[in-house]
Amino acid sequence: MGNEMGNEMGHETPETQLEVQPLLSAIDLCKSYGGLRAVDRVSIQVPSGSITGLIGPNGAGKTTLFNLLCNFAHPDSGQVTFDGAPIHTLPSHQISQKGLVRTFQVARVLSRLSVMENMLLAAQHQTGEKFWNVWFRPGQTQKEERQQREYASEILASVGLSAMAQSYAGALSGGQRKLLEIARALMVRPKMILLDEPAAGVNPTLINQICEHITQWNQAGITFLIIEHNMDVIMSLCDRVWVLAEGQNLASGTPIEIQQDPLVLKAYLGQ
Amino acid sequence: MQGFIISLIIFTSIFALFGLGLNLQWGFTGLINFGHVAFMTLGAYTTVLLSVQGVPLPLATLVGALVAAGLGLLMGFATLRLRTDYLAIVTIGVSEMIRLIAVNEGWLTRGTLGLQGFPLPLASLNPTFPVRIVMLLLITAIVALGYRQLWRSLRQTLKKLPPEAIVPITVMALGYGSSLGLLLVGTGWAAKQLKPLLPAWGLGCLLLLALTLIGYFYIGLAQRLTKRRPQWSTGLMLVSTSALAVCGLWIYGIAIDAIYHYEKSPAKTGLMVISVAILALIYWGLEKLVRSPWGRVLKAIREDEEVTKALGKNVFAYKLQVLMLGGAIAGIAGALYSWQLTTVYPDNFPPLVTFDAWTIVVLGGAGNNAGTLLGSAIFWAYYNVTRFILGDIVPLDDARLGAFRIMLIGLLLMVVMVWRPQGILGKKEELTLGQ
Ligand SMILES: Nc1ncnc2c1ncn2[C@@H]1O[C@H](COP(=O)(O)OP(=O)(O)O)[C@@H](O)[C@H]1O
Ligand SMILES: [Mg+2]
Repeated sequence: MGNEMGNEMGHETPETQLEVQPLLSAIDLCKSYGGLRAVDRVSIQVPSGSITGLIGPNGAGKTTLFNLLCNFAHPDSGQVTFDGAPIHTLPSHQISQKGLVRTFQVARVLSRLSVMENMLLAAQHQTGEKFWNVWFRPGQTQKEERQQREYASEILASVGLSAMAQSYAGALSGGQRKLLEIARALMVRPKMILLDEPAAGVNPTLINQICEHITQWNQAGITFLIIEHNMDVIMSLCDRVWVLAEGQNLASGTPIEIQQDPLVLKAYLGQ
Repeated sequence: MQGFIISLIIFTSIFALFGLGLNLQWGFTGLINFGHVAFMTLGAYTTVLLSVQGVPLPLATLVGALVAAGLGLLMGFATLRLRTDYLAIVTIGVSEMIRLIAVNEGWLTRGTLGLQGFPLPLASLNPTFPVRIVMLLLITAIVALGYRQLWRSLRQTLKKLPPEAIVPITVMALGYGSSLGLLLVGTGWAAKQLKPLLPAWGLGCLLLLALTLIGYFYIGLAQRLTKRRPQWSTGLMLVSTSALAVCGLWIYGIAIDAIYHYEKSPAKTGLMVISVAILALIYWGLEKLVRSPWGRVLKAIREDEEVTKALGKNVFAYKLQVLMLGGAIAGIAGALYSWQLTTVYPDNFPPLVTFDAWTIVVLGGAGNNAGTLLGSAIFWAYYNVTRFILGDIVPLDDARLGAFRIMLIGLLLMVVMVWRPQGILGKKEELTLGQ
């Protein structure tokens, strides 16, 4: 476990520095619900090591796109490639195991588990999660639990949830839940995290904190794709922004370019 | 009396085991299984049919458990990829199907004629003195471990209480419990006296009225006491736990005596030792499992499947494992049940048995294995006490009395749900959590 983490969290390998291939790329994704084309031939690329933004008016299909990327909803057509391999045929838990983790627009914590248990659950490749290992490898299981617990405590401390570690996750406030959800995603030791509106319903101080954390974790090597309506957040964090409107690609570019794009202004900023 | 207590122990153990299977599926993983009895039926028939063919009992039981697990596998494959409600529906259907197969496939199960005279475990054993001592020690060890658990949880509750509160709440709880008990016994006695004097419907109405009034008054009283002194229900817990502990010791004494005089009723005594030992073993195993990372995944699935998937867990595989394991446990319970009944008819496994398991699990507190044991004990104590006492009091014939008892246990369940919606040993905090 420990070694793997070192590699994943470590700095970019020469390959990714060259940016021959984006870490995540989706080509021509489509998804219809009944007659509604929620996502219509959307393509998107996320370079390794970047913080990429995804914006668009409500109902533009951003969350649906996230669902398609993680195979929470199966695309009608199109492909998703992550880390050089196609993933749109994999079940969603295997996608997470490959290092692509999502959060939900409305924070979803496991209410009747403690905050610490929420964190521990997220660790991958745990020996004790296999039925037989509970019986035949108790030593290894306990050792890993101790290690994961330490790592989880570190993350919880960094987001300021240490004091709540033993309380039920269901007892957290809205903002704290958002933090826990992001912290939990980190616990997976992912290559990339998809954040769905991390700043929605969060007070300004906490928004700043979340932004700082994202920058910090990004420097540690994690790639982010962020859906966000708060333009300050997008402007300050993102290297590149993709814009969706009515289920289709509208534009993409640097935050500055996007802010000046007349199409975007019309569709999104309503000016 | 001894025979009665022994069979009470056996029934309690069997249904505790049966309930533990359901608790794993529903209490820990959130899988709604309305056909739990199907696993028990399969386990019972497989074990009995194999043992009649001369297969040794342990092996037959093991095969029975495996067949029950196989049913879990099939049901899982058929439904688990769909929404949760489908599992609930399919389990009802499958359990009826299994029962109908038992009724109609006469070449295999002898249909409604049933199976009799099959081998029983340890029935022809005449244990030497050392063997008896080993059995005694086994049961003693299990009981001792049980009491250690009880003592630990008791000490934990005591620690949370301010020391000066202990005496008043204990007195309150004692007063509440004993006055309620006296009132109920008094009502029963009065009804018995009135039975020859009043017409049946009159006595029935009177009894129902009295019970409703008593219930209403005591629930109200409990709520008011809770308002005045919130720790009061802990006092009730302390008092009833102590009463239970004393009761347990008495029962333990009877069991010990029975083992010492094994030859008096070898089949029942042997079955008691086996049931208690298996129950203890499986309880221990389940407790270990649900506290492991494996068990953590189950609880996560119960809370939110999608999140669990998003965190890289193969939810489908876990649900399959749980259906199979819970099924296997129910299958073993089925084998024990057939030995306890000594005859097996399809009618022994009506859908009602599934709901007995639900009652036990809900009564004790979902997601709490100790609660399931307690639930089973209460269920069987109630069942037997009412069988002997209600007949004297209530002016009903046997069949109606049976229905009346089921109504009463429904009432009991409702009272518990009002008083402690989380079940007797469930955690109250968990109810108030937002999603
Ligand atoms: N499971 C679903 N069933 C039917 N319609 C859906 C479903 N999910 C999303 N939609 C529709 O797809 C469109 C895009 O939704 P969404 O992706 O949530 O937008 P947003 O960009 O605000 O996140 C909306 O019109 C929504 O109603
Ligand atoms: Mg959305």
